[in-house]
Amino acid sequence: MRQHQFESRHAALWQDIEQELASKQPSADLPVKYRALCNTLAVARQRGYSPSLVQRLDLLAINTHRLIYSAVGTQEHAFMRWVLRDFPRLVRAEWRVVALSLLVFYGLTLLVGLAVAWDHELAYSFMSPGQLANFEEMYRGGAHKLARRGSDDDVMMFGFYIMNNVSIGLRSFVGGLAFGVGALFFTAYNGAYFGVVAAWLSRDPATALNFWSFVITHSALEITGLLLASASGFKLGSALLLPGRRGRVAALRESAASILPMLLGAAMMIFLAAFFEGFWSARTDIPATAKFIVGGMLWLAVIAYFCLAGRKRAT
Amino acid sequence: MIDGKLHIFTPEGVTLAVVPAGAARRGYAWFIDLIARAVIGFLCMFLLQLAMPGGAGTGMMMVVFFLIEWAYFIVLEVFFNGTSLGKRLTGLQVLREDGLPVGWRESVLRNLLREIDFLPFSYGIGLGFILLDKHARRLGDIVAGTVVVYRDKATVRPALPVVTPLPLPYALTPDEQRALLDLVERVRTVPAQRQTELGDLAEPLTGLKGEASLQRLFQYAAGLTGGKQA
Repeated sequence: MRQHQFESRHAALWQDIEQELASKQPSADLPVKYRALCNTLAVARQRGYSPSLVQRLDLLAINTHRLIYSAVGTQEHAFMRWVLRDFPRLVRAEWRVVALSLLVFYGLTLLVGLAVAWDHELAYSFMSPGQLANFEEMYRGGAHKLARRGSDDDVMMFGFYIMNNVSIGLRSFVGGLAFGVGALFFTAYNGAYFGVVAAWLSRDPATALNFWSFVITHSALEITGLLLASASGFKLGSALLLPGRRGRVAALRESAASILPMLLGAAMMIFLAAFFEGFWSARTDIPATAKFIVGGMLWLAVIAYFCLAGRKRAT
Repeated sequence: MIDGKLHIFTPEGVTLAVVPAGAARRGYAWFIDLIARAVIGFLCMFLLQLAMPGGAGTGMMMVVFFLIEWAYFIVLEVFFNGTSLGKRLTGLQVLREDGLPVGWRESVLRNLLREIDFLPFSYGIGLGFILLDKHARRLGDIVAGTVVVYRDKATVRPALPVVTPLPLPYALTPDEQRALLDLVERVRTVPAQRQTELGDLAEPLTGLKGEASLQRLFQYAAGLTGGKQA
């Protein structure tokens, strides 16, 4: 068949599809037309019709392909289902990297904390005396405001926590790509840092009370979030170090796609923690006992959530 | 054909071709985005300082900085069909490797991993990967399964001169036919001397030289496609 015959025979179909692409609501028989279009494209290519015609059909086919295959069925309550079921399930399924992350952080916290508690001088090998004095200043006295002056500063610190903490979480995921070294560094560094500060401030009962009542609430979300973020970084690193029977790139892609929801969950937790840290933890008009009760309950809730949520079989 | 195209195989049994974009064009796109982000940042800073001076404004500013740093590319790519502002202006687009628009998962992955591609400074690692990868993907693209391609523009098909169709002196293979049609559609876009030269090259087919040979090729092409009579 001559090219011109071919073109005039199918011109109506191509124009039809062009109109469908331009309209917002494609008709139900677009897939049928698309298959016909693919047929004409294959024929035009095979018969060596002019490249400009083939290019036009190619472009038409690509755009229709996108339109047809990118349509996603609406998922009802997808987010709620993820929160109530899929996220905790994923964390449990990836218990190995989560355990590694918990072990590195709390292990170092405990180790460094006990070392500093045993010999205060050791704190100076982690931080300068100025820094330590600074921390002490922040949590000292009954009217500790944690260097803040009113609700204005609360908002400022809230912004700072979001920028700083969520970024750290995301970076420790990205750093996992360097064979897990980045994630390991962030986790270990934060663990040791927390251990030194906690042990140093716990020496004096006054600062100890202020410090622990400050951190107890938001740490439930913040530390857990940071640890889950670095756990997802470890997952990336482990895909590179131990790809198993897959190629390294294939392993990396698979792990990255499967672990990403955990990272986003972690980022959301750190984000939520910023609200507590900004507007609750630092308030001085709330007695420390109330903070301990609320914080303790939040810790229990977080632990219960990851241990128990989503265990029921889907009905 | 060696053309650097990425061929996507569809369930309908055809391949669709897209052209991956190289480092330079992507660099321009990134630079435009950098300027856009700076402008957005300054604008927000200005408005926030007006709206709520003091600590609260600074706090909100830090939230804005956070969003500009991490969410700018993700949100634009997901909602604007794989294009950020820079990609839109430079005619680029991010696609999944199966040719579909990027979704949240792909966009988040490739844009978080920007951090690594940016190392040690100004996309050192990313450039290395783009140069080595056959589809010019940076590390984030490889992990996320995406590819940055030229956004296809609707092509205007060139009008051919109306000439008397002639049959070919001997049969050509489909590939040769395509080459002939490609030539007659594009020959008028090159300088006159080059046109004559191309006409000379076609002597074995036409038995003529220069412009006359080209005219003969036009006639053959008209015969091939079954064009209208002069």
